[in-house]
Amino acid sequence: MRPAADSNEFRRDLVSVLPKLRRFAMTLTRNAADADDLVQEVCERAITRNHLWNGEGRLESWIYAMTRNLWIDEIRKRRVRTGSGTVDASEQDELSIEASGEKAVYANQLQKMILSMPEGLASVFLLVNVEGHSYREAADILKIPIGTVMSRLSTARMRLAAMITETTERRA
Amino acid sequence: MQSTKGLPLDVRLSAYIDGEVNEAERKELEQLVARDEEARLLLDMLQAGNSFGNKAFEEFLHDPVPLSLVRRIKQGPGVNPKAERVVAAAPRQARLRLWPRALAASVALLLIGGSTGFIIGKTGNDGARPMNMAAARTWLDDIADYHRIYSRQTAEHLVEVPASGDGKIESWLASSVGINFSLPNLSGSGLTFEGARLLVAAGKPVAQLMYKNEAGDVFAICFLKSKPGTTDGKMTESMRDDIAMISWQKAGASYVVVGPSADANLHQLATAVSTAI
Repeated sequence: MRPAADSNEFRRDLVSVLPKLRRFAMTLTRNAADADDLVQEVCERAITRNHLWNGEGRLESWIYAMTRNLWIDEIRKRRVRTGSGTVDASEQDELSIEASGEKAVYANQLQKMILSMPEGLASVFLLVNVEGHSYREAADILKIPIGTVMSRLSTARMRLAAMITETTERRA
Repeated sequence: MQSTKGLPLDVRLSAYIDGEVNEAERKELEQLVARDEEARLLLDMLQAGNSFGNKAFEEFLHDPVPLSLVRRIKQGPGVNPKAERVVAAAPRQARLRLWPRALAASVALLLIGGSTGFIIGKTGNDGARPMNMAAARTWLDDIADYHRIYSRQTAEHLVEVPASGDGKIESWLASSVGINFSLPNLSGSGLTFEGARLLVAAGKPVAQLMYKNEAGDVFAICFLKSKPGTTDGKMTESMRDDIAMISWQKAGASYVVVGPSADANLHQLATAVSTAI
């Protein structure tokens, strides 16, 4: 078992990655409420299993893989319950990120655009392009082949480039 | 390194951007881009998507994280994260409104014009950043930036004027910022006073009192003069990445207590400061 002092340090490390973890969770769940629930569940699980963390590599990678697994479990549960799977972000009325005023509306729109990309694109883009994981690391975290990482990444970039024009036209 | 031979060109160029192709393929793709206009435009589009996506995802980090979740992790169960959510950092959101427009306009023009080079994303950034920085910042943003820098300094450079106990810090800062105050003794909260700095935030002088706990975490109390008559003592929590801030206004002054977001007792600390200062 990990000593208490190490456990406290682990909790501390966990808190420091919370904003990133929540962002990653958002790319999976594509709405803030589910992301918060997922993050909470992941953190609780990570704390109870912190003795399994060997301290090598990036803590995020270990936590992200756990997050992805829990989310897949959740999707399966929902499919069993409803028989229809999850609701796509683009079909939702509004992302439930708390904010107010015109600026916040725009923030939601932008986030909504990003998260409304077809499933899997945002997560791959975030891991590789934003957080600097290698293709291999991203593939391990998401449990997908490297070839899928490559094709999703390219598709994500093209979609994001198209959004630039979309955003410009919308605000013109 | 991946072999991308036989894959669609956008996938190959995407891997090239990430440095995930071997040396031979890198050279091959560079030669292709140099001689083929379509390949060059495709690369530009991929890089434009990169820039746009990077900036957008960066903004996700400024979304509020429930502080009760932080406390739950630090202290164990007993708090419901859904019942408490940190106030979002409005100035950060204001930045959202400006940069995509500038970035989008720059990149779209470059793409439409079929401009050359691989620096489209960088060019877009260069154009957007200064506008945003000037438009939306408040004193709390400045304080967060200061804290991020100073809290990483060694003990020798942590403060401008070290703690001395002779009252000089109080008189110096009181005359500089125009607010009389008492130096809070926070030893009951496990904090040792290290000294002070005079900062400038939102164009105004700000007093900064620096404390450390046993673990070496740095906490700061900052205050500046605000509009006369502002006596709203309501405390507002916010987070800037890994920094938590609790601010309030009282008797014509604005105060903020700054500490690591991992600290679960920041609210109690702020309450103690508000009565002691």
